[in-house]
Amino acid sequence: MKLLIIEDEAELATSIAAYLSGENYTCEFAANFSQAIHKINLYEYDCILLDLMLPGGDGMQILAELKKQNKQDGVIIISAKNSLYDKIQGLQIGADDYLAKPFHLSELSARVFSVIRRKNFTNSNIVRQNELQIDILSKTIQVKDTPVTLTKREYALLLYFISNKNRVISKNALAEHLSGDIADMLDNHDFVYSHIKNLKKKLSDAGCGNYLKSVYGTGYRWEI
Amino acid sequence: MNRLLDKSLKPLAIYALIVLLLSIPAYYFIVDRIWVSELDKHQYVLRDKIESRLVKLNLPDSTVEQTINIWNKIEPGFVFTAHPTDQVIKDSVYTTMRFDDFLQDREQFRALSTSVRINNKHYRLLIETNMEEADETVTAISLAAIFFFLLLLGGFILLIRRTSAKIWQPFYITLDTLRKFKLNSDQEISFTPSDTQEFNELNDSLSKLLIRNVNVYKQQKEFTENVSHELQTPLAIVQSKLDLLFQHPTLTNDQYNIVESAHTALTRVSRINKNLLLLARIENHQFADHENIDLSILLHNMMEMLSEHLEQKQLTLENILQPDVKIEANSVLLEVLINNLLINAIRHNSIKGRISIELTEHRLRLTNTGSHTLAANKLFKRFSTTSTETPGSGLGLAIIKQICDLYQWKVSYSFINNLHIFTISFKDPITLPAPSS
Repeated sequence: MKLLIIEDEAELATSIAAYLSGENYTCEFAANFSQAIHKINLYEYDCILLDLMLPGGDGMQILAELKKQNKQDGVIIISAKNSLYDKIQGLQIGADDYLAKPFHLSELSARVFSVIRRKNFTNSNIVRQNELQIDILSKTIQVKDTPVTLTKREYALLLYFISNKNRVISKNALAEHLSGDIADMLDNHDFVYSHIKNLKKKLSDAGCGNYLKSVYGTGYRWEI
Repeated sequence: MNRLLDKSLKPLAIYALIVLLLSIPAYYFIVDRIWVSELDKHQYVLRDKIESRLVKLNLPDSTVEQTINIWNKIEPGFVFTAHPTDQVIKDSVYTTMRFDDFLQDREQFRALSTSVRINNKHYRLLIETNMEEADETVTAISLAAIFFFLLLLGGFILLIRRTSAKIWQPFYITLDTLRKFKLNSDQEISFTPSDTQEFNELNDSLSKLLIRNVNVYKQQKEFTENVSHELQTPLAIVQSKLDLLFQHPTLTNDQYNIVESAHTALTRVSRINKNLLLLARIENHQFADHENIDLSILLHNMMEMLSEHLEQKQLTLENILQPDVKIEANSVLLEVLINNLLINAIRHNSIKGRISIELTEHRLRLTNTGSHTLAANKLFKRFSTTSTETPGSGLGLAIIKQICDLYQWKVSYSFINNLHIFTISFKDPITLPAPSS
């Protein structure tokens, strides 16, 4: 999978690349407007991470250019602006997602995963992992042909882990993923723990191997 | 506090009063002097006339005595007496007070005691003329003075009201303009020009001062927004580096906990930053668009979203929501408002506590159990409620207040029977002007 990171902050871009390259993504960089235009004209990407404020131009124009060329690249806007207007405009022009800075790399990874799955697997969108089978379209789980019923939260957690395989994910990142802005206003993130406990139980009851490990006391890792 | 016009009247009135008071003795002395000198002149004339007429009569000595006696009896104010000596005694002029038999009162007289020569015989003639007493003169003058003082005062008031009101009119217009001016309302301030130089100078100076203030205010608002903005990227970098550090294969438990602590603090910074940015945006009127929102449904949905957090603290939630309560507002801001209220009620609650939500057409009320009252005067100020026990962003209530101010809703807090009560009173629909039929 090929990604293009259009971001003028080199430190942030390299962090993103370092994290995502572990997920079998190949990352390329564009640090300004003209580089970005140049690259999208030449190549196709599975997913483009687009910062809106770029030296030399507005990220929205890159988005418009992609649309004009009828390119199918998935686009996730990563912006420091976090303004609803930008979000709506970006999604209207054709972005697939919008992520406000600062964000967790694990969250970005989950969004990239989901955008790529949506773009590239329109008909049969099934993620397989040994005995575990996830149908992204119908949001159903099967373990060795046994259907498992998960709550909305448990499903969201499972997908998050799948898209961050072998990564240490802190409880805070999980809480933010589940509750968004609400999570960072609540000091207590124990609700994550009970959802994880239920998810683990449901999976193991259905005969799924124990891939979800607790690490360092409060972190989690989906090991495969 | 005195009004400007009354202030200019006061010294004038006092000055007029002093002048008129001083005029009373002055008038008295003048009147008295004229009076006395006229009387004296008159009395000498009388004396000369009497003497010349008596001499002209050429009466024998015996008849003279008789005539004088009759004169003395008939003519009041004249007393002839035989001269004690043949030598001429000097005339004397004086004022005297004595009891008058005829008027039955003490009266003041001007008297002339002089010598008259008839048939070579000297007689003493005393002429007395009743004159006004000093106190009566003073009273009359004082009354006149008071009358004129009142006339002056009335005139002053009338004139000052008329002319000053006209002169100061531009000042009052400026005052009114200032009173209506609001720093955060984004409206241009303009003063009405006048034909008085000083007022135009005042208006110019005020304009300059206000423009400077507005600019400083705008800069400060922009500063907050810009700073918050600029912070997002470095915060994103730090967060990404911490996320990478988590992945380090040789990370020990202790190191993980250190990173996790740093991470928690970073989350707090991000939250403060986000909230400051939100406040700045509300102040900059960046949430101008609004729609008709069903608050009953919105509340219901948000309570559902928070249900897992309620369970965590074993809180019981009761709600009395009037259905179909519609409200005109920006959907993002309304969600932020309700979110903040609900999360406050959860965060600052005791274990196994209660939360109750009450919604009517006119108000939204959130009640939750708590242990001690909060300082109501500081509650809605930025960073005033942060405590080490519950480290929030310190901006939640400030945001609530800001949103309520924007829509002219009233938010209030009270603490009764160990219950925190937050009430938001929406604009009363009854007070809106009724459509004309």
